[in-house]
Amino acid sequence: MEFIRLPKVENVKLLDRVSPRRSRVGTLYLTATHTIFVENEAGVRNETWVLHSLVCSLEKQAATSSGYPLLIHCKNFQVLHFAIPREQECQDVHLSLQRLSQPESYEELYCFSYKPNVDDEERQNEWDFMNLKADYSRMGLPNAHWKLSPANRNYKVSDTYPADLFVPESATPPVIVGSSKFRSRGRFPTLSYYSKENHAAICRSSQPLSGFSARCLEDEQMLEAILRSNPCSDFMYVVDTRPKLNAIANRAAGKGYENEDNYSNIKFQFIGIENIHVMRNSQQKMLEVCELRSPSMSDFLEGLESSGWLKHIKAVLDAGIFITKAVAEEGVSVLVHCSDGWDRTAQVCSVACVLLDPYYRTLQGLMVLIEKDWISFGHKFSHRCNHLVGDPKEVSPVIDQFLECVWQLMEQFPCAFEFNERFLITIHSHIYSCQYGNFIGNNQRERIQVHQRTHSLWSYLWTNRTDYINPLYRPDHSQTQGLLRPSTAPYCFKFWRGLYNRFDQGIHPRQSVEDYLRTIQEETQQLEEQLASHKQVNFKLPLIMDPDSDEAVYSARGSNDQTLPFQPSSSARINLHFFFACGVFATHTLVSKCLL
Amino acid sequence: MSMFSVKPMKPTFKCYLPPVQTDVKKAIEPIKKLEPKLLLGEIVVNEVNFVRKCISTDSSQDDLWGKLICTNFKVSFIPQDAPAKQRSQLSHFLLGEHDIPLTCLDQVVTVNDTKGKRKVLGSNQKLKFNPTELILYCKDLRIIRFCFGEAGPESAKKVCLAIAHYSHPADLHLLFGFEYQGRRYHEYKAKRVNGSTPRGGLQTPIFDRPSDWDREIKRTGASEWRVCSVNEGYAISPSLPEYIVVPASLADQDLKQYSSFFPDNRIPLWCWNHPSGSALIRMASITDPLHQRKIDQRVFTAITKSHPHRSEVIRLDLDKCLPNIQDIQSAFFKIRQICVMDPFEESEERWLSSIENSRWLEYVRAFLKHSAEVVYHLDGKNTSVVLAEEEDRDLNCIVSSLVQLMLDPHYRSLIGFQSLVQKEWVMAGHRFLDRCNHLKKSDKEESPLFTLFLDCVWQMMNQYPAAFEFTEAYLTVLTDSMWIPLFSTFLFNSPKQRNQHLADFAKNKAIPQGEEQSVYFPPVWDWSQQFSFKDQTLFNNPMYVGKGAACVQNGEVKTFRRTKKTYSSTLRGAPASMRNGLKSGEETLPRRGSLVSELKPDFSPVKDVVESPSERFFRDWFSRPIDQQGLLIPLLTPSHMALWKLFFLRWVPEACIPKGGSITAYHKLCQLVDEIEILQIQLRQYKGPSPGSTPLPSPSESRSDQRRMYFKASFPDDPSTPPDFLTSSFPFTPVGNLCRRNVHGTPISKFLNGAKIWLSTETLANDTV
Repeated sequence: MEFIRLPKVENVKLLDRVSPRRSRVGTLYLTATHTIFVENEAGVRNETWVLHSLVCSLEKQAATSSGYPLLIHCKNFQVLHFAIPREQECQDVHLSLQRLSQPESYEELYCFSYKPNVDDEERQNEWDFMNLKADYSRMGLPNAHWKLSPANRNYKVSDTYPADLFVPESATPPVIVGSSKFRSRGRFPTLSYYSKENHAAICRSSQPLSGFSARCLEDEQMLEAILRSNPCSDFMYVVDTRPKLNAIANRAAGKGYENEDNYSNIKFQFIGIENIHVMRNSQQKMLEVCELRSPSMSDFLEGLESSGWLKHIKAVLDAGIFITKAVAEEGVSVLVHCSDGWDRTAQVCSVACVLLDPYYRTLQGLMVLIEKDWISFGHKFSHRCNHLVGDPKEVSPVIDQFLECVWQLMEQFPCAFEFNERFLITIHSHIYSCQYGNFIGNNQRERIQVHQRTHSLWSYLWTNRTDYINPLYRPDHSQTQGLLRPSTAPYCFKFWRGLYNRFDQGIHPRQSVEDYLRTIQEETQQLEEQLASHKQVNFKLPLIMDPDSDEAVYSARGSNDQTLPFQPSSSARINLHFFFACGVFATHTLVSKCLL
Repeated sequence: MSMFSVKPMKPTFKCYLPPVQTDVKKAIEPIKKLEPKLLLGEIVVNEVNFVRKCISTDSSQDDLWGKLICTNFKVSFIPQDAPAKQRSQLSHFLLGEHDIPLTCLDQVVTVNDTKGKRKVLGSNQKLKFNPTELILYCKDLRIIRFCFGEAGPESAKKVCLAIAHYSHPADLHLLFGFEYQGRRYHEYKAKRVNGSTPRGGLQTPIFDRPSDWDREIKRTGASEWRVCSVNEGYAISPSLPEYIVVPASLADQDLKQYSSFFPDNRIPLWCWNHPSGSALIRMASITDPLHQRKIDQRVFTAITKSHPHRSEVIRLDLDKCLPNIQDIQSAFFKIRQICVMDPFEESEERWLSSIENSRWLEYVRAFLKHSAEVVYHLDGKNTSVVLAEEEDRDLNCIVSSLVQLMLDPHYRSLIGFQSLVQKEWVMAGHRFLDRCNHLKKSDKEESPLFTLFLDCVWQMMNQYPAAFEFTEAYLTVLTDSMWIPLFSTFLFNSPKQRNQHLADFAKNKAIPQGEEQSVYFPPVWDWSQQFSFKDQTLFNNPMYVGKGAACVQNGEVKTFRRTKKTYSSTLRGAPASMRNGLKSGEETLPRRGSLVSELKPDFSPVKDVVESPSERFFRDWFSRPIDQQGLLIPLLTPSHMALWKLFFLRWVPEACIPKGGSITAYHKLCQLVDEIEILQIQLRQYKGPSPGSTPLPSPSESRSDQRRMYFKASFPDDPSTPPDFLTSSFPFTPVGNLCRRNVHGTPISKFLNGAKIWLSTETLANDTV
């Protein structure tokens, strides 16, 4: 490729971040898509691969005794510290990578050159896997109160909105169009989530163009229509997720927020989530703390606090809780907006969905949620994630914050989520990696062409779902069902080491409860394979379990003459399978050993 | 209105309104007779009726009416309409839900609201005003508040004075344990006769006899060390146990001679031997530099001789590099201030920097780090280590026990852990009486060293959840037991003091000579004094990978090794299937045998700076798969140090997560283990008793109290989904246990400084109308 000035540099050192006195020596290769470091060590091949699209920034440092340092900061929070022998080589690598990591057109993105061995039909099936209409029908839509509107079919009303939108039954096309003219970027109030139990809905929009006194009849009618589509409630909330001062400042620019006097039966509320610039700086500060080489307790705690990151996470979660309460406990519909309605609004609506609806805490549900509230509603992924070279002020970790909110909730409710931390981290990586077509572009309209030439992350994740299952999850538990009621006291927010420090060897927790369960599951599988090769073991056990759920495990061995009062759960069954088949008496310790 | 039990969005407009007043009159109905539950030998000293116990800080709606009683053991509150006991709590045999042992009281504060007066009460003090409120600050971090609005002013005053007086005992033998255990001994004597077991059935070694030390020598293979009885009858040092372990090459005569140079005559004490032969020794520092060199040299020579490779000895002076007892006390004071004393609204603002400012976590980390370095010397360098401290009775206790916990899996079992505390704290002469300040004589001597140690253990447990047989609930209950004066474990400053007091006690209470101390005045390790067997199962960690666990495969017993898969950092986040799917897409981790094998790198041995041997030792260890039954080294980067929430925040309502917290994972794991255990029993039954074996219990029997797990597996007829009472505070509850200073409304300054949620001016205007 023409951007690669130097395809190979020898005798490069890769310095260990935690113990910098330790370095590995090897050869650095630049390819069209990756930077590859191959360690020189007799007998083994240790390689480190970094995708160009994951490179966030490059930093050349003053020469040291070990060479010319080049630091590569990645969007997945990996930091690689190379020392290159000669200045010219360092310069060449730097310039090449600078260009390679900042594509100028979509065509250059990795997703267009990523070609797994999959034929076109299969590729199409990958994309068909995700079906948002199915989620709306899961919510019970369309129904007597909400209808699918064709108004934005050709992205004419709002070019950043999806083609399919649900609006109140009584919202006529003139109301929709009128309302959209009174909203930033034409993003009129439309449905995000509907609670079929009590008809309360979460709607979203951008800010009204109210200025100091402007009004719009259609917009007022639109809100009234939303209110009326919830027959049980005589008012609705309008939540502006910005700090009040920001909202006031917008009035001067002819934008702003709803005046309670002009809209009938609304309760207006500000929720002060800071803007994308504050969030970007905050994450940057936090990452600086993460990158400290040997921080003291004070460096870490004070740095983390002064970054303000966890306070911002708390603000998003608090906002989600407010909406959850309104919908689930008061049965009141809510309209959420910020400025354009694609950053804070996406965060708050999707956090509320996770708190409200157990479906969104499943593997499939979270994918659907991201597809719905983020991808389809026009979160500007390419701008926010800096997929192409562009305005650095547009970059902001808004989606990171959503994923972190989910993670914080998982920490508070370890049994309530079907997926594990790895799932969130994989999604995070691929939002930035540009390997899949899902997050390319800034809205649905821009993305139409992309699907035909790329692959879908969702189907990849689904195919490999066993890697992402939380073994503690049980769909039938009361903890899993219903609302989540998290605590948002500052004590309950943790630093997400697994994401921000995940590349630091020796910094990880070496094990977690979940890892144990995974290990035992794998061990059990291994043992079962061994077992299969020893056919002579043939026991007959008079066990019958529930015939609906576990014939796969027992019926081959069971004879139906005795019923035990005991029903093993599915996860214990895997292990028991082994015990029964072996026909051994295990001791207590054996059992706990094998279980964990 | 709010169904979210945690504090909702704040500040809300409601904050300006006074709390809803409940109908006070209704609560005062003709009272039933309220009788306290008294222990043997417990007597009521004073009592007052019509007392209101505050349940929550925000409103008086849930407050309880009843009688406040002071006995010679506890402060007890007996509610008139006792609400159904909260199922989330352990049922304590010695204490009720509303009881506080007098030894647990830290400060007794009386308040008169109308006069705006406040006084901290000590012993034998006068009170010039009639208290309207009594606030009890407890050493287990609870804050309990009683209001006397409707009570007789004189009786209220008397009870307050009695509580203050009785919580400041003039002498050790006035602690209630000496009354209670005497009565208990005689009361239960008859029952014990037939089932008398050695040491009262206690399995934890006490280390008060040579055999306990002998077993420890054998267990660790310390063949060049011997049990020495030179301190029998505390002839040499009052703060050492009667039997100690010393290098085989040192004669009793030498030891006697050396002892005079050590503070308190404390000759060096053997703690533990590494399988490789290096030993861990603790000793006091000789102050006179002339003698110090000479004696140290002789002692070290003897230690070297006891090493199979005659390896050198390293001396580490702990008081030169670790915080002292006052530092630790002040850190604890501050962190307690932040967690429980300060109003939530204040502590919330700068939570992380307040934690930092307390320095508690920094100290926890320092002790762990130091202990890990000792581990490096013992395990990595195979040298014997001498821990030196001025008196060898404080910091050495923490470090020596942590080192052994890291190196020896035996101490990670429940019995092993208890024997470790017995050996390195109780018998090594940690001044529990002074450090706990049971007699409230000198605040300067008070320091929560044992609590700090338990916090360090918790950090290890948090990082290695399968390595310990016990749970964090156990550790928390153990801290609480320090404040119950009925166990011999935490009452004394030295083995000699214990021995004397217990001997006097036996004489006074007519306990026959030759009776075991652990029978007539049991240590805390006899947990059935406090909890039922069922509640004690809460101490069992379902994830524990016990010693000697074996796996049976095709009829052969094999040791179950988990080496194929390691979930160390290198694999985390990138399971094999994902790597393949990604085709190196996000693969950035070191890999072996990759797709680009045609790229052949040149070999060149460039290495300028070498890492230090200890860095290398730790790196090597962290790069290997972990062995639960081997060495464990904690991770020490600040992001790994966590606040021990169950201990510090269990009473804080704002920190409580209903139906959440790690207890929910514990619940699930317990159920799984229980399921397997039941099925095994059923399987055994089906197979029938083998010839000569005893009949097996039936499944119904197996459901009884003997089950090992606190939470039972679910049955089809009884789908025991997680109980609704599970909260992150379980098995404790914030309800009624933390009534701190109330902040009425929200300070206007907060609004001006940018409160998180602004109400629109319109809403404010509407609501005030």
